[in-house]
Amino acid sequence: MFKLTPSEIAIGLLLTAILLTSIACSAAARNEEFFGKTEPPKTNVLRYVTGDEPESLDPQLSSGQPEARIFMALYEGLVEYDAKTMDPVPAIAERWDENNDSSEFVFHLRHNARWSNGDSISARDFVYSFRRGVSPELLSRSASLAFYIRNAENYNQGAVFVLDPKTNQFLLARDFASQTSSSVVPLSESPLQSGTQEYKPTAAESTPDKETPFHQLMHSPERLTLPGDEKARNAILAKNPTIQGAVKDKTFVKVQAEDIGVEAIDDYTVRISLRQSTPFFVELLANQFFRLVPQKVVDRWGREWTNPAHIVTNGPFKMKSWRPYNEVEVERDPMYWDTANVGLDGIRFFPMSDQPTMMNLYRVGEVDAVQNHAIISAWIDAVRYKKDYMDAPEAAVIYIVMNTTKPPMNDIRVRRAFDLALDKETARKWRKIVKPLKGITPEGIFAGYPEPKTGSFDPAKARQLLTEAGYPVLDKGNGNFSCPSFPVGQVEYIYPTAPSNKITAEFWQAQWKQNLGVTVQLRSMEFKTFIDFRSRLEYKGFAFGGWSADYMDPFTFLGLFYTPENDNNTGWWDKHYVELLDEANRTPDRAKRYALLGQAEQLMMDAQPIIPIETAMVNWTKKPYVKGMYPNAGSLFPWKQVYIERDRGKWDYGTPSLAANNAGQMLISTPGN
Amino acid sequence: MLRFIIRRLLITIPTILVVITLTWGLVRLAPGNFYSTEKAIPRQIREKIKERYGWDKPLYVQYAKTIWPIVRHLDFGISLKYQGQPVSSIIARSVPVSAAIGLLAYVLALLVGVTFGSIAALKQNSKWDYGSMAMAMLGISIPNFVVGPLLVLVFSLTLYWLPPARWNGLWSANVILPVLTLSAIYMAYIARLTRAGMLEVLRSDYIRTARSKGLRERDVVIRHALRAGIMPVVSFTGPALAFLLTGTVVVEKIFALPGLGNYFIQAALNRDEPLIIGIVAFIAITLLLMNLLVDIAYAYLDPRIRY
Repeated sequence: MFKLTPSEIAIGLLLTAILLTSIACSAAARNEEFFGKTEPPKTNVLRYVTGDEPESLDPQLSSGQPEARIFMALYEGLVEYDAKTMDPVPAIAERWDENNDSSEFVFHLRHNARWSNGDSISARDFVYSFRRGVSPELLSRSASLAFYIRNAENYNQGAVFVLDPKTNQFLLARDFASQTSSSVVPLSESPLQSGTQEYKPTAAESTPDKETPFHQLMHSPERLTLPGDEKARNAILAKNPTIQGAVKDKTFVKVQAEDIGVEAIDDYTVRISLRQSTPFFVELLANQFFRLVPQKVVDRWGREWTNPAHIVTNGPFKMKSWRPYNEVEVERDPMYWDTANVGLDGIRFFPMSDQPTMMNLYRVGEVDAVQNHAIISAWIDAVRYKKDYMDAPEAAVIYIVMNTTKPPMNDIRVRRAFDLALDKETARKWRKIVKPLKGITPEGIFAGYPEPKTGSFDPAKARQLLTEAGYPVLDKGNGNFSCPSFPVGQVEYIYPTAPSNKITAEFWQAQWKQNLGVTVQLRSMEFKTFIDFRSRLEYKGFAFGGWSADYMDPFTFLGLFYTPENDNNTGWWDKHYVELLDEANRTPDRAKRYALLGQAEQLMMDAQPIIPIETAMVNWTKKPYVKGMYPNAGSLFPWKQVYIERDRGKWDYGTPSLAANNAGQMLISTPGN
Repeated sequence: MLRFIIRRLLITIPTILVVITLTWGLVRLAPGNFYSTEKAIPRQIREKIKERYGWDKPLYVQYAKTIWPIVRHLDFGISLKYQGQPVSSIIARSVPVSAAIGLLAYVLALLVGVTFGSIAALKQNSKWDYGSMAMAMLGISIPNFVVGPLLVLVFSLTLYWLPPARWNGLWSANVILPVLTLSAIYMAYIARLTRAGMLEVLRSDYIRTARSKGLRERDVVIRHALRAGIMPVVSFTGPALAFLLTGTVVVEKIFALPGLGNYFIQAALNRDEPLIIGIVAFIAITLLLMNLLVDIAYAYLDPRIRY
């Protein structure tokens, strides 16, 4: 009998392992048309990986994208996203009118919409849902999406009006406005006007909708509001003697749900009055936050209303079962008004967080489609040339924020130098699935939007700028540079811990070293630690930045720099920028509005609080037999159009085109673009 | 014996309170909080959320508000992230999954580990010995985040024999790969512990006596040697079982299992304070109980130990 030494056995086992691995790898690399099995499921039930476990099944409480996709099956609102363009398309509202400065909207509802329990849906359901969404009791983190609606913010914040008990009149905000503010009063707050000044007549409706006392009230000047909390109110009054004098002997009246600008004119007409011109308001309404919730069920069960035993919904699908962290299963709702056009019998949403696990399930054919960004960068080349890979731009951007409040980054020349020193073109080729970015709005998403003109890779100019800023860059020959006077101790690049963030960070670090002779230290941080650190502007120099659209309008990106409260994490804010955005939003003509928004973006980029890096691309797969699912810019899918095609001849061989009217055409993904 | 058990149980209570207090303090010390999100929540809404959860109150009030419901009726509150779901129900539904996988893995590890460990000890320096110890070495040194994907690669993606992930109840093929992955390292440890324990016992006087009495080798090994030889395994079992029952983060993530480990890591990342405290308390209780069980088992297995 032969005898093996332990090391021989160990080596033997190791070799076996390597052999097995290589067999498996070669199987993976085989030149298959698709990534894994393409056997359609036996039933018309789609199996989909939607990402993390849903926080809640209440559409007004959860703001995440994994939840959004579940909500799109269960709930419907006034409008729905278009499957390809993500523009708002009619849902429960059949059509709508917009007033002349986009500050008021009237929605006409279909008469046949029903809840999953058979109750019919009326305008009052919308009034209820919108009031609930912004109520201080619900405390939704998404409530600010609805703050464009008149008094919604006041109600949400528990503010008070000031009533003069003698005259029974409310004090008005305009009487206390500072002289310098030259705000333009929107039509929704101006006295009601007759005829075409308010609404343009449309083919469907030649005369405006019915007048109501509530509408008159909405069209009165904005009332003065003060914080409901006494401490906060007194602090404001102490600072403003005029108001303090005026509110003496007056009564404070709490802003009520009934005060917000949402009105049921009749059973099937909803009028929404806004506090300002909001041309993107209908786009916003497709968001999950504005979908209907059932008053009867919420009143009866409170927080427990989303329990599968109680839940009532109004979308194309209704709840079948919910096993947390395992599966949310929905089935076709026969009560749904358009159930005849619903292509699937049900959807099984699988929550999970590990991307390789998602792709493994996809490969063996246990799921039919996966969430966006399911493919980790190491796998990209193995997947992106397959015909089930979805190749399309995404309404999301990656950039680097700079702390403009601390030296040396408070010098615009330094900020520009660090931008010009990055060879983003090379980075993009190496990152493979991204598109260029010029400012903060993604490229190729908003047709007709003028991109800002910003500098491209120019290391010589970068060195010159840095020298001008007082940090001379010395040429050491052989293409090496050094910048000994630059305070490297005062800058670093921080990013949330993730392998993909690390490799890009190292790339930028190498570029700065090579082109400026400056070594920027890198520091990775746990996600929440990072978020907190960045938003307090405690970071030195540079930090990772990213943003994705909440609604399909450039304002969702530009609005980041709108408030002086540092939502953009750079410390940069400019009044002119805000004025340009306001003017743009008052402009009804789309092209002119885009031009103004573009001007604002140019102004921002001239000040360079950020270094634009890249526009993201969607990054997911669906089996060729899954039809009606398009790689749109927000990865949100109107499920009723999705179906399972059993005829191989009609399958998708390549990324389905996103162009509006050529559903049959394919965009074969070509390597290298 | 009974007094010993009661005393140990009583000590458990202050221990758990200390654990909860420490956890609470650590969560408070951690930078960031539940509402630090990529999309900044507007300041006014953040303030209101603080008010709702009492985070604007002095720290001692917050501490009292956390600890008092726990002391009074074991109420750990409601998860911040999974809105409306009580911590107790999250634990109640995820522990069975973790425990099932963990228990199966441990039983498998015991069967295989003790068998091969004993064989290795009985046939010391044979190819059996070297073979099983080499396997054990591999099992210990390859982490489960490598074992798991490797098993998936071979049995799911190449051979298409087993599903690569997801939970379909205990009696489904989905259980096989996570159980194998989880048990690998325990199998290896147990094999090594058994071998070491057995080698020591097999050389002792009472085994020689037993043999010289003319007992059959099978009786010597199983009735005399094994009983004492697996004592190291028994003391290893307590903490090992506690960890296995309360879920293992890596395996649950790789195989997308709805177990406690998954919730634990998410709770920590989300700064979901009530859920973190609840799960830590649960794990601490399990650990203490398991250690108590081990001590009782000692007394049963080793006639020399009396409490």
